[in-house]
Amino acid sequence: MGLFGSLDISASALSAERLRMDVTAENLANAQSTRTASGGPYRRKEVVTEATGDNGFAGALASARASGGGPQGGVRVSGIVEDQTPNRLVYDPSHPDANAQGYVSMPNVNPVTEMVDLISASRSYEANVTAMQTSKQMFTKTLDLLR
Amino acid sequence: MELFDTTQLGLQRAIEGAAQRQTALASNLANANTPNFKPKDVDFHSALQAAFATGDRKAVSSAGFQTTTQTDVMRQDGNGIDVDVESAKMAQNGLEYQALVQVARGRIDIIESAMGTS
Repeated sequence: MGLFGSLDISASALSAERLRMDVTAENLANAQSTRTASGGPYRRKEVVTEATGDNGFAGALASARASGGGPQGGVRVSGIVEDQTPNRLVYDPSHPDANAQGYVSMPNVNPVTEMVDLISASRSYEANVTAMQTSKQMFTKTLDLLR
Repeated sequence: MELFDTTQLGLQRAIEGAAQRQTALASNLANANTPNFKPKDVDFHSALQAAFATGDRKAVSSAGFQTTTQTDVMRQDGNGIDVDVESAKMAQNGLEYQALVQVARGRIDIIESAMGTS
C-alpha cells in the first residue's frame, strides 16, 4: 500500500463523518417527534465507529484476501445504535399524545449535545480533507521525479 | 562504482518511510472519534540513521520501518488521538516528503547532466 492507501483511509473517514452528520441532523429534526413507526417517541441515534484492519496479522491477511474490505487503518461504521437514556416528560395536557396525568413523553434529544456532535463531526471532516490534500500534494510531487 | 550512491538509496528509502508515515497519520486522523484507538507513527529517521551508521550500502537500501503504536491515553473513551498534534505531524511529514523528492530529483539531474542526456 503506497500513498493511495492514505487517500483510501481519509476517504473512509470522510464517509463516516458525513454519516455522523446525517444522524445528528436526523436527531435535531426529530427533537419534537412524539410518534414513530415503531410506536412511542423518537429515540436519539448514535453512530458507532471502529478502526478497520487494526487486529494484527490475521486481520490484515483476512482484509487483504477479501477485496471488498475497507482500507488498512481506516475507519468503518459498525452500527447506528439508539440512545437508551429515558425520554423527557413534559407537562402539556392539550397534546394529543399526553398520558392520563397530562405528561407527554418527548424524545431524549438534547439540542445542545447535537450541536456539539455536529461541530465535532464537521471539524473531523475538515481535518480529514486536509489530510487528503497533503497526500495528494505528496503524490503530485512524486510525479515530478518522472519529469 | 555504482550509478546511484548510498545517499541516493537513502533518499529513496526516506521517501518510502515518509509515505508509510503519511498512511499512519492519515489513519490516526480517520480514527479521531473511534473509541480505544491508539495513535500510530513511523520513526523512519532513527531506522535510517542506524542503517547509515553501519556504512553498509545494503543496510541502507533495505532499511525497514516499523509502524509503532503509542499506548498512553488522554481521553476517557480510550482514544489517544490529538487532532492538533496529528495535523502538525502530517504537515511536517508532507513538507519533508516534498523536500526529499526535491533533493532526489536534483541529484538525478546532476547525473543526467554528467551523462550529457539533458
